[in-house]
Amino acid sequence: MKVSLNHLKRYVDINVGVEELIEKMPLAGFEIESVTRQGEGIKRVVAAKILKITPHENSDHLQICQMDVGENAPVQIVTGAQNISEGDYVPAALDDSFLPGGVHIVSGKLRGVDSHGMLCSGEELGLTEADYEGAEVHGILILKGEHKPGTDIKEVLGLDDTIIDFSITSNRPDAGSFLGIAKEISVVLNTQFKAPETEYKTVGGDINDYISVSVQNDDLCPRYMGRMVKNLRINPSPDWMQKAIIAAGMRPINNIVDITNFVMLETGQPMHAFNYNDLKDKKIIVRNAREGEKIVTLDGNEFNLTEDMLVIADGQNPSCLAGIMGGKESEIEDDTTDLFLEAAKFRRDNVRHTAHALGIHTESCARFEKGTDINNVEYAMNRALSLIYELDAGDIIDGAADIHGKLDENRIIKTTTKKILELIGVDVPSDTMVSILNKLGLKTTLDGDNLTVSVPSIRSDVEGRADLAEEIMRIYGYNHIKGRPMRGEVTRGKKLAEREKSDKIKSLLCAAGLREIATYSFINPAAADILNLSADDERRNMIKIINPLGDEYSALRTQLIWSMLSVISTNVSRKCESARFFEISKRFFAELPLKAQPQEIPTMSIGIYGEDEDFFTLKGIIEAVMKLCGAHTRYERSNEPYLHPGRQAVVFANNTPAAVFGEVHPAVAEKFGIDTRVYVAEIKLDVLYAINKRKLIYKPLPKYPAVERDFSLLTDIDMPVGELQNAISSGAGRLLEKIKLFDIYTGSQIPEGKKSIAFSVWLRSSEGTLTEEQTEAACTRIIDKLQKLGAELRK
Amino acid sequence: MKEKLEAIRLAAEAAANEALDEKQIEEIRVKYLGKKGELTSLLKQMGGLSPEERPKMGQLVNDAKAKVESLIAERRARLKEKATELKLKAETIDITLPEKEVNRGGLHPLSIVTNDLIDIFQSMGFDVLDGPEVETDYYNFECLNVPADHPARDMQDTFYLADKILLRTQTSAAQIRTMENRKPPIRIICPGRVFRADEVDATHSPVFHQLEGLVVDKGVTMCDLMGVLEQFAHEIYGKDVKVRFRPSFFPFTEPSVEVDVSCTECGGEGCRVCKGEGWIEILGAGMVHPNVLRSCGIDPDVYSGFAFGIGIDRITTTRYKISDIRLLFENDKRFLEQF
Repeated sequence: MKVSLNHLKRYVDINVGVEELIEKMPLAGFEIESVTRQGEGIKRVVAAKILKITPHENSDHLQICQMDVGENAPVQIVTGAQNISEGDYVPAALDDSFLPGGVHIVSGKLRGVDSHGMLCSGEELGLTEADYEGAEVHGILILKGEHKPGTDIKEVLGLDDTIIDFSITSNRPDAGSFLGIAKEISVVLNTQFKAPETEYKTVGGDINDYISVSVQNDDLCPRYMGRMVKNLRINPSPDWMQKAIIAAGMRPINNIVDITNFVMLETGQPMHAFNYNDLKDKKIIVRNAREGEKIVTLDGNEFNLTEDMLVIADGQNPSCLAGIMGGKESEIEDDTTDLFLEAAKFRRDNVRHTAHALGIHTESCARFEKGTDINNVEYAMNRALSLIYELDAGDIIDGAADIHGKLDENRIIKTTTKKILELIGVDVPSDTMVSILNKLGLKTTLDGDNLTVSVPSIRSDVEGRADLAEEIMRIYGYNHIKGRPMRGEVTRGKKLAEREKSDKIKSLLCAAGLREIATYSFINPAAADILNLSADDERRNMIKIINPLGDEYSALRTQLIWSMLSVISTNVSRKCESARFFEISKRFFAELPLKAQPQEIPTMSIGIYGEDEDFFTLKGIIEAVMKLCGAHTRYERSNEPYLHPGRQAVVFANNTPAAVFGEVHPAVAEKFGIDTRVYVAEIKLDVLYAINKRKLIYKPLPKYPAVERDFSLLTDIDMPVGELQNAISSGAGRLLEKIKLFDIYTGSQIPEGKKSIAFSVWLRSSEGTLTEEQTEAACTRIIDKLQKLGAELRK
Repeated sequence: MKEKLEAIRLAAEAAANEALDEKQIEEIRVKYLGKKGELTSLLKQMGGLSPEERPKMGQLVNDAKAKVESLIAERRARLKEKATELKLKAETIDITLPEKEVNRGGLHPLSIVTNDLIDIFQSMGFDVLDGPEVETDYYNFECLNVPADHPARDMQDTFYLADKILLRTQTSAAQIRTMENRKPPIRIICPGRVFRADEVDATHSPVFHQLEGLVVDKGVTMCDLMGVLEQFAHEIYGKDVKVRFRPSFFPFTEPSVEVDVSCTECGGEGCRVCKGEGWIEILGAGMVHPNVLRSCGIDPDVYSGFAFGIGIDRITTTRYKISDIRLLFENDKRFLEQF
């Protein structure tokens, strides 16, 4: 909320400088958004009188001015402006002067003629039409009236104000007004607060003879108050009011409109002025709009209304969108003679919904949305009438229409000083507590330890002792709070088992040279097509965000592969030759339409590419993860649509499918602009988390030597090596120590359709050195098993 | 014979001293000390000596043998040393040649910071919990004292998935789930991913990370909150930073405070980093609102507590002076490799 500091001084003694004020207010809960010092940056610019103008010999547009700048002799300044005459008073920037924005003016020559400064336009001084009439005129700013030459221009233009923009937290709508912030300043600075005049005189008559007011929906309009003012004398509002309105970011219009705006800014209660003579049937009806009704608002826009919108109607049509904006038809104009003045409370959610639905945002609805005080309605009305009286803007008719139910009474909070101290842990003296609360307008009495606080309705945010503690501390000062080390039983914090496991997996992957990535949880729903997912793939059932930032961020992901490939794509396009990435995140699954929280499945993706990477590198990484988690693995061919059909596998961890991995299908890679082989995996961490790892017990190191035997085989070309290994393993039984594949070959000397495979097998017994017979028996079993698979032993 | 012995010894010593390599020294050893060596054969010639002379001469020959032996051993050692020296010298490499690269992996900077935070709070006895990323309106707002249409909901634009189902806007929802399931004393943190409908720019991301902290016990005050946050700030920002509270508003805490630390760049003098204020805002905190305690079945007349919410991304970007938050989610390898 922007406020003129000069204007605030009408309500409160500000006995400190701006710097100190803006340092203190944030510590009481009011942050400063910005501070604008009018005339900031203007130096050595004075009011000057043009004594003589002569044309410039070498230019058809420059003029040479002899200026009285308050010095003994006239000063010569060359200007290009045409709107000046001898005898005018204008702003002159002298030699070595400064304009806003750091512009430095020094003496110089303009086409050979000395110029000891510059005549200034309003724009060059940083002024707008609202600051000074004529400020936006093309050319030099011509000052009104006569001025002593040499007078500082800031004084002449009245640029002596500071505009402070206070940030008001949403629990304190009451402070978002001149009076509200002035009260807070008076408490912070411990100075006097002066309430403005609310008295006025009426001219008799009776409002009921002019208008009938009714409220049809008292739920949406808990209070409606109206007054009549006759014989309007519409004029510009006084300078002080205009300045206060401009500082707050609004525009002055005329005294009546300005009073309604000013009272809103001053009290926080929006007001509305109706041209009485435009109200049909002399009726005011607060009601819901009817389907099909329309209104043209003050800004000239036409809106179609719906039944949930509250309007102020005359006997026939909506005349105002309640709390949002008035209608064009009943606008106050220069020739308006009679006024119906409104102050009301409208329910904030209704104002918000209507404003949102129609796309209107006004100062008025901003205040209603934040919440207004039902008791403030009357205060604001009286203040407006007293200003009408003070400015002699019209004749106030006796009587008020004031329709309301039960008005809010003060909330009484009973607590003890001890309870408050228990929350803050600082010994604030009891009388200090009482004095702070009273200064804040919370009437407080102390009886022994017992505090009784009467909270006016305008401070509806103060509900209990926690709120009182806050009110006390923000004024007493949070700097009194001294840290105390954590107390309680000494325990080491525990992590969830899932986090412990994922931490270990992450460590393993980092040690294996993988880099962790982080990507958004929502993706482009087109990912399903990009990954070639089939029509009935459950991963197509993505939960959609109702209000996404855009299509590309509109669906919760059901797989992590798309994000991984996007990251790899970025890196490939930036000429990164190789990378190993992993990500741990969640996948979201639910029955659609969504009725409950979805399943969030912890999942890991891995993506690797580069010259040294292949399917088996990735298989090695996965196997390491599986071993770490205590899983026995089995690999089978899989058919993920986004993977190379011949280079992919599903991994079973203790017989549960736990991962799919393989080389990315070239057609899919191409869609990501990836022109190299990429290997990806998606691992279900929930499966791995569920494995209960057996307690680790060490195995004694072998005492007896191992025997190594080589087996050279000839098999069909498509015989999986895994099956041969299984055969060797089952043949060797408990004696098996290790199998190593050391050669695999197809080509010359190998029959068509066959391949040659060679294994080294180590056998060892823990009970003694293997005898020749034992070894031979094991080898025979192995060969037997291999032959059953169709493998042929090569001699 | 004595003279002969002396002559042989001198000759042997001279030869040994001149030997240039292992082969020559071995030849010398054989020549003098071998089975048929000159000194050995001298012993054999002692038969012609008198019984009185024999032991004397024997002694002399053995002494000479020992001398020559030790000289040969010495020479041999020296030669070996020299040979090694030469070999090592020949093997000298250019140590500035490029290393054989070890493929070093690493955690994402957000994980590094999260782990650091977890360590700090775990050491203070906080349990580390998780919560769902998709929350209900009840846990994300209502239970946190943010009723429907309360203006506080304006403070954060929420991604909705369905009526009353949304992507959590803060980790505070975890407070409620914890208090429903645990009895005081409660001391937990919940790090996690949160979502707000912020347009992406250098300082805003629709996906970011928070760490929620909650303590509920008898007699917990704002001084305890200050104590915990001071310890946190000292670990993260340095021993010398000061911590201050500024009043603020969050619906689920009362009193609510913004927490600032003295600027780590200028030490509080005022600089560009702190915009001349000398303080940097780091987190929001407060005493758990009595309504929140009550709605979780905890009696606010018996227990009190505090909660705080730390922006992990913010700490990450300030710690590493990352000027654009988008870098965290872009995952350029050259960026990731710096951590």
